[in-house]
Amino acid sequence: MFESKFLGLVITGFFETIYMTLAASLLAYMIGLPLGVFLSVSRPEGISPRPLLNKICGAVVNLLRSVPFVILLVAAIPLTRLITGTSVGSSATIVPLVIASFPIVARSVEASASSVRHGVIEAAQSMGATNMQIITKVILPEAVPSLITGAASSLITVLGFSAMAGVCGGGGLGSIVINYGYYRGETGIMYVLIVVLVLLVQIIQEAGARLSVRSDRNSKSSN
Amino acid sequence: MSSANDVIIHVEGLGKIYEQGKPNEVKALDDVSIDILRGEIFGIIGLSGAGKSTLVRCINLLERPTSGRVSVDGNELTGLDPAGLRKARRKIGMIFQDFNLLEQSTALENVCFPLRISGSGRQDAEKRAGELLERVGLAGKEGSYPSQLSGGQKQRVAIARALASDPDVLLCDEAVSALDPTTTNQILELLQEINRDLGVTIVMITHEMKVIEKICSRVAILADNHIVESGNVSDVFRNPQTDAAKKLILPSGGVEPFDGSGRLLRLVFDGTTTDKPIVANMVLSCGEPVSIVAADTKQIDGKTFGQLIIQLPSAAGSAERMMAYLDSENISYTEETDV
Repeated sequence: MFESKFLGLVITGFFETIYMTLAASLLAYMIGLPLGVFLSVSRPEGISPRPLLNKICGAVVNLLRSVPFVILLVAAIPLTRLITGTSVGSSATIVPLVIASFPIVARSVEASASSVRHGVIEAAQSMGATNMQIITKVILPEAVPSLITGAASSLITVLGFSAMAGVCGGGGLGSIVINYGYYRGETGIMYVLIVVLVLLVQIIQEAGARLSVRSDRNSKSSN
Repeated sequence: MSSANDVIIHVEGLGKIYEQGKPNEVKALDDVSIDILRGEIFGIIGLSGAGKSTLVRCINLLERPTSGRVSVDGNELTGLDPAGLRKARRKIGMIFQDFNLLEQSTALENVCFPLRISGSGRQDAEKRAGELLERVGLAGKEGSYPSQLSGGQKQRVAIARALASDPDVLLCDEAVSALDPTTTNQILELLQEINRDLGVTIVMITHEMKVIEKICSRVAILADNHIVESGNVSDVFRNPQTDAAKKLILPSGGVEPFDGSGRLLRLVFDGTTTDKPIVANMVLSCGEPVSIVAADTKQIDGKTFGQLIIQLPSAAGSAERMMAYLDSENISYTEETDV
């Protein structure tokens, strides 16, 4: 049942999925990391309170987060076409993936940045640090273990979204499952791909957890 | 070093109100004025909630006061723009109760931090940080992370970090409150050494009288959001004027007469009189017993101070006789009326 033509298909799909997940996550972090830091420092109790702008950005993030991904996928088609010239294939899928995941990344970064103890930030202020120095030399380095954990779970979310994009020609493992497993009823390959996806998630999860623990100098077990 | 009467920190009419104008408005400081002299170790003591942490945070403007002025070394901080304030803060070191070190950085990197943010090169910063760590007794711990250090060691790293930018002033916010008594003494000795050797003016915020007694020359007592008493530590100790001061000096709290009658006297002995059996002699010469309600001895500036609260007999005339006896022996005493 698992013929060689499937093997090629699975390998291609696998790399397409990796490509979509990594590229979309990277772009999502390029927007979400600064946005998340801004959401944290502009809180009323943050180092640079901007209550109004904080509320507006927070509202946009919440709005995007509350649109189910499948709907966003369809709604974003005009924009996707505008940017990539097409609405099918793995490169096109990156557009809705980024739109759906940067708000998630932003909230995760915000939570990590806000978990840095206020006292440490106060100490830096007492030494005459600028807000930018506090962000780059205090908040971000201190939040590294938490940021890594957040990155692992964001990657997993993007991976899940990328599989969902298979419903409308998104490419990758998700498309194969839809096309072969659902439309053609070839359940064998479907189960194989489910196993591959589960393994991928487990690997990301485990790698993230280990990296986070290893990077954390604030636990006696490390180094 | 400038002259001894040179004021380095001038706080005038300082007030701090949180949530001003709102229904949940909280007054934290009310019309606080202090002058701290260059080179001294000045203590600010108060019970929790008295406003002392707010006060020290107002000195380097971590908290912006609602009213009043703060000047450090002739520089009026309350009138500076953000950039000027950042520059001024580099000359005001600060250490904290929970150390506030960068947990993800080594001891050396922590001490490098203030140097790096003010533009020093990595090599210069590391060299100076290494020297400072040695200065505070942490040679060999350069590569340790805070989680690998004890509380006392963490505070030493924090002290080295605060000294990195050659401050004129070191603010200590409950710097020894999280430490055990032995470590507390070691850190206090280190601070004393730094004050002596580098001439850094130190402001100690604490709720413990023993910290004040050990290293401070002058003290201000903060109660109910304002300064109720201030002066030389030995004077304040010998003759506390206010309830708050008495409570802090004799930490047993409010003393009460055993049977609700009889006057209470607070006797204070200094190093010159403690070797005489004053109370015993007084009882013998007056022929009437007294009850000892509370007693304590302390070391201030290397001198022993003893403190005793006694309840005088309620019989007519005997209290007066005893006070006359104390006067003749030159023992200072105050009557406790507020119990």
